[in-house]
Amino acid sequence: MDLLGLKTTDLEQEVLRIYGDLKKLATREDAPPCVARNAKKALACLWQATNDLDLSFEQLRDLGV
Amino acid sequence: MDSPYWNPKNEKMPREELRALQLLKLRRMCEWAASECDFHRRKFEKAKFKAEQLRTLDDLRRIPIMTRAEWMECQAEKPLFGDLVTAPREHAIRYHLTSGTSGRQPLRVLDSMKDWEWIAEMWCYGFWGFGVRPSDTVFFAFSYGSFIGFWGAHYCCEKLGALVLPSGNMTTENRVKQIVEMEATTVCATPTYALRMAQTAREMGIDLPSSRVNKVIVSGEPAGSIPAVKRMLEQQWGAKCGDTAGMTEIGTIMIFECAHQPGGTHIIEDNFIEEVVNPKSMEAVGYGEEGERVVTSFGRGFIPLLRYRTGDLVMRMPWNKCTCGRTFDWYDGGIRGRTDDMKLIRGTNVYPRAVESIVRECDEIDEFQIVLWRKDNVQDEITVKIEVKPQHAARTAELLPRLGKDLAAAHEGLRFNVEAVAHGTLPRFELKAKRLKDEREYK
Repeated sequence: MDLLGLKTTDLEQEVLRIYGDLKKLATREDAPPCVARNAKKALACLWQATNDLDLSFEQLRDLGV
Repeated sequence: MDSPYWNPKNEKMPREELRALQLLKLRRMCEWAASECDFHRRKFEKAKFKAEQLRTLDDLRRIPIMTRAEWMECQAEKPLFGDLVTAPREHAIRYHLTSGTSGRQPLRVLDSMKDWEWIAEMWCYGFWGFGVRPSDTVFFAFSYGSFIGFWGAHYCCEKLGALVLPSGNMTTENRVKQIVEMEATTVCATPTYALRMAQTAREMGIDLPSSRVNKVIVSGEPAGSIPAVKRMLEQQWGAKCGDTAGMTEIGTIMIFECAHQPGGTHIIEDNFIEEVVNPKSMEAVGYGEEGERVVTSFGRGFIPLLRYRTGDLVMRMPWNKCTCGRTFDWYDGGIRGRTDDMKLIRGTNVYPRAVESIVRECDEIDEFQIVLWRKDNVQDEITVKIEVKPQHAARTAELLPRLGKDLAAAHEGLRFNVEAVAHGTLPRFELKAKRLKDEREYK
């Protein structure tokens, strides 16, 4: 379901899944800078898609994003 | 997928769903602000407001209005950023300044990585909506300084895959040359500067209408939605002219002109709530009535902006008065003016009161006058005429450049002409002074 309670499409589910994976990656303490910083950058970008598609609306301060 | 919309899901969303989305985001932003932002927590407590009171969108009016003066005050009390920010500066990746022309203290803004991406995202709604595509070559006539200006638009174009041509501190002649040489298809500038480039091109013997430029996207001045100016731009460039408007306090644009050009600019309503109110009573006004914009943004988590009074005058129109298919309402004529006396000179806000506060710091000056004029009918200029007290006449030569420098420093580097005139020649006033003379005309 999206934020309005509407059924999500396959594409939207894929976006949400990758967004969740990036959040996990962004919290890993064993990641070298090249992974950690690029994961955060990618997460900042994918946040836009989840916001645009009304899939998620949250702040990412605790992840440093 | 070549959609005319950047985000088809929300740009065509039924109004009832759009309002439900706004309410949900509003609640979350208020919860965030109450939890993480001392500035808003203080205001909420004073107004006895809690996020859970937001049951319908009409409850928005329970949220206390936020003003620029309050923002400045909190920055003055807790330099540099006040208590409006929700994280220490180490969490930010970007710093920008407003012009600071409503007083000498500018507003300082910080953005996180996510917020900065969002700033570019809002420009994507506008640029894509006006027809910019990955195949475009986009030229930015922009100085890339601490003024936020077209920064977000630059990153928007990188994001949507266009070829970006940043021009930094190039001369106007070199900019024109590069636009032609690199076969730019889209040019971004203030309306005034777009006209100046067109004039320079003519002087250089370059025929811009025969160039590859087919879109001129303007921002920074209300002139972009003035029909006469738009006509001049479209004729002189041989291109469609699209208007956008934003503000440093938001960090990005909140309105854009779509390719259908209804005579105004769509509000990005899935990311903002825009209220239009009577500036005296603060009561909401209806469609087709002029009023002041009050904006709530869902984008910046670093600096929550809730019911911020903008001073911009607008006239809201219903979405279905545009044929583009968006369900976003729009502002007829874009930003129509200001509730205060602010003047826009080459994209920079100039407040006579702020100029006066700087001029008045020079003890040598007796009287002054601000003259706004248009050079060659294209470029806006500002001249401050001063009368030096007779006893300080010998210091005039030293005073003129110093004052010019101080004025520029307080106005994003805007060049001020400062002229000394004979003592006793400027008007004197008995009651309310009128020291600003606007000699510009849109022909």
